[in-house]
Amino acid sequence: MRIAARHKNDIVIFDLEGEIRRSDITDVTLHQLVKEQLDSGKRKILLNFDAVEFIDSFGVGEILASYISTHNLGGKLKLVRISKKLFLIFQVTMLTKVLDIYEEEETALKSFF
Amino acid sequence: MAKNRLRSVFSRVVDLKPGEGVIAVFLFLYFFFITSPYYIIKSLRNASYLSGLGDEKLPLAYFLTAILMGFIVNFHSRLQVKLPRSRLIINSLIFFFSNIVLFWWLFERGWRWVPVAFWVWANIFAIVLVTQFWMLVNDVFNPREARRMIGFIGSGAQLGAILGGVLAGVLAKRAPWLLLPLAAGMLGLGILVVSGIFRWQRQKTDGIDREAKDRAAGPTKVGFRDAFQTTRQSPYLLLLAGIMMVTLVVSTLIDWQFNSIVQSSVEGESNLTSFFGYFNAGAMFFAFLFQLLLTSPIIKAFRIRGALLLYPLILFLGTGGIGLAALAGLVPLVPAILIKASDKGLAYSLNQSVRELLYIPISPEQKYKSKIFIDMFLNRFAKGLGAIILAVLLWLVPRAPGTQGGQGIIRYISLIVLVIIAVWVFLNFRIGREYANLVKAKLEKQYERGDLLVAQRLDVDYAKLVFDTVESKTRSSHLYAMNLFDLIRHDMLTPEVKKLISYKTDEIRAASLGGMFEQTETGLGPKIEEELSEDVLKREVQEILNLDVYQDVMKGYLERTVADSSADSQVARMEAAKMIGFMDSRAPLVGKLGELLEDDSPDVCRYAIQSAAAHMRRVDVPVLVRKLKSPALREDAIAALRKFGPRIVGTMADYLADRSEEIELRIVAASVLAAIGTQEAADYLTWELSSGAGAALADGIIDALDRIRSSDPRVTFAEDIIKPRISEETRLYCRQLVDLYNGARPSDETECRRRENRLSDSLWNVFKLLGLIYPQEDMIKAYQNLKAGTKDSVAYSLELLDNVLERDIREVVFPIVEDLSPEEKVKRCRDVLRGIGEGKAKDG
Repeated sequence: MRIAARHKNDIVIFDLEGEIRRSDITDVTLHQLVKEQLDSGKRKILLNFDAVEFIDSFGVGEILASYISTHNLGGKLKLVRISKKLFLIFQVTMLTKVLDIYEEEETALKSFF
Repeated sequence: MAKNRLRSVFSRVVDLKPGEGVIAVFLFLYFFFITSPYYIIKSLRNASYLSGLGDEKLPLAYFLTAILMGFIVNFHSRLQVKLPRSRLIINSLIFFFSNIVLFWWLFERGWRWVPVAFWVWANIFAIVLVTQFWMLVNDVFNPREARRMIGFIGSGAQLGAILGGVLAGVLAKRAPWLLLPLAAGMLGLGILVVSGIFRWQRQKTDGIDREAKDRAAGPTKVGFRDAFQTTRQSPYLLLLAGIMMVTLVVSTLIDWQFNSIVQSSVEGESNLTSFFGYFNAGAMFFAFLFQLLLTSPIIKAFRIRGALLLYPLILFLGTGGIGLAALAGLVPLVPAILIKASDKGLAYSLNQSVRELLYIPISPEQKYKSKIFIDMFLNRFAKGLGAIILAVLLWLVPRAPGTQGGQGIIRYISLIVLVIIAVWVFLNFRIGREYANLVKAKLEKQYERGDLLVAQRLDVDYAKLVFDTVESKTRSSHLYAMNLFDLIRHDMLTPEVKKLISYKTDEIRAASLGGMFEQTETGLGPKIEEELSEDVLKREVQEILNLDVYQDVMKGYLERTVADSSADSQVARMEAAKMIGFMDSRAPLVGKLGELLEDDSPDVCRYAIQSAAAHMRRVDVPVLVRKLKSPALREDAIAALRKFGPRIVGTMADYLADRSEEIELRIVAASVLAAIGTQEAADYLTWELSSGAGAALADGIIDALDRIRSSDPRVTFAEDIIKPRISEETRLYCRQLVDLYNGARPSDETECRRRENRLSDSLWNVFKLLGLIYPQEDMIKAYQNLKAGTKDSVAYSLELLDNVLERDIREVVFPIVEDLSPEEKVKRCRDVLRGIGEGKAKDG
């Protein structure tokens, strides 16, 4: 999995690519990257899933841990451009009850304000 | 230069923030210029009435005032609806100014009814102007600002009263004709000051935030009926009204005792005016000193709840003394003077300040409506009630001829006063509690905790299992089938999940259990419910796995699979790890779990960890603890260890306390104890906190304790450990703040940020610790509003802490949470460090 960060105003957008799997773990996990941004004072995080093929239970744990860390500091973490299949799993597992998921980046960015 | 020196001297007396000086002085002068004329008027009022009509006619004056006040309140409410605040106040002042001139002329005529009219009018003068004054104060300040400045602003009234009293005392004998013109002149100056206040307010609201604008815009305008209904509907306002009632009934009875005793001791109208003038001046001098020196420290030290009790308790002792003196047949002039002076002094200092503070957490709308009813109408109604009690007593207990001061009735009055004071104390206890609740209600949570939101809305284990099931579809039909079976076992194979797994992909779709479900959903195959019920499936699979013959047959296969550590057999090992989880814990093949837990593949390990959680064998605990070090497996290992529950609390506490272990592992051990969340887990964490845990571990332990507190409010925490830790965290915060802001501030932005984060973490730790021994919700609200709130929400946070925290904790925490500029905060932190002998080192 590859993760690249970019900034729009005070929002940090993480472009995720590949699969978020336990077996594919890199030196720095998604949660650690989110925590670094939180430490630097950022409170609005957007995870772009456009190039994510699949995630396993480890990936779910990473997303939820990032969500909890952000929320505990009064911030917001949202997801965008998630595949239809993943969205279905998110719905079935009720992750959509917790996570805000948007179809388009522009809409997601606006939703922070 | 001189201006700065003046400001410096001023700031030592009054706790003012930049920009508050002008309005504070304006309000001080406003209060001064309405009380100084009133104390001239009041001395004249008492003397003219007592010498003209006598103390026996006093109940008539009280009663007439009460009746007339009802009309005045109604009229004032109507005016308030029609006029803006500025015009209402200025027009009222002009009206009373013209009345003074009118009474000056009337007194010259010597008509017998004039003292009665003057008495009633003087009371209306006081009640209307003082109520309007406090309305304006409430418009301008929030609770913290009011609390800081109330001592100074209130002292304007005492100084005015002293001046008015002294002028009345001196001029009554030398130039009595000058008293009323002088009062009119002072009120005229008051009109100029009030005009200045409204001009200042208009200029300020042009450029300030909306919050202040809303305050400055003034209240909702209401009528008398609305004011009454608002008070009636709120239990808090009813309590306030009740306290006002009993306070004034007591005050009226004491006032009569005092006037009666004075009348029998002082003769002649000018002597009486002079006596009342000097007495008022002396009492108000006492009030002034009390207000200036003691009101704020008393409120600060005893909080509103404690401060509320002081006034009734002093009156209780005083009136008891008068009663005893009267019982002994003495004319209790000295006790009467003392108790009246205490009554006046405390009423115009501590009591007034506390009462106004009690109004502050009420919504502006409620405040204005209820103030009209309580401060204006009920105030006089209570006096009327006092008058009725007096009239009844005077009728029941006639004075013996020749007795001075009417000792008989005086001791009865003392007795009644004692009973009413007992009711008063009870009401004060009640309102003290309600006040704290009201302040809490004013604070809104800025955001919900993420972990709680997730816990409330999600079944994380279920979500992960669904993801693993879908993921396993691409790996192996066996693994996929086992994951589906796991969903069935836990009654999680909902119609939604069935629909999900029938989702069309190009992935393998072997003739498996999953395939059968997919066929069912797509309508291509037989319906699974008809073929194989879920209950039958659960039972049959379980029976097969537990068969001895199955264990024998599978033994060889499992041994080969586990021994093959190549990447090609990874899926087979995953299947084996998953399958063992379904077996009975006594089954021989479960023994293979140990090897699978040590597998190099995190995917295999993950399934083995799940199976270890299902079997809960103590032998697996050390391996699971080792897995806590792996980022890929940590969450799974924590979840597995959590399932062991209280059985492993001692083991995890050993890891937590083991100084030879890596700090990372000890922190995660704290997380496991938090996940288990029992009282014993909390006790171990608390003990470790007290045994010199380093900063990183302490952070982890405090976080773990905080999580236990939020998941189970029944768990208790050792205060004798938590309180010193709060002090320690506060000192840590002070050290970090002083380091950050003294000369050694790092030029490196990253280092600066790191220190700021550490500072922020320390503050959060203080509040997490406070949440362990005080209501956690309150502490979270206070923290969130302090960190991200508006000016008012910060003020209410501090007010909440002030009311909830015990004195020793308040003194520790307030230096770091008070709403101060960075420079002031650094100074306070240096003081804290100096207090523990670190001052020199930190002064740089």
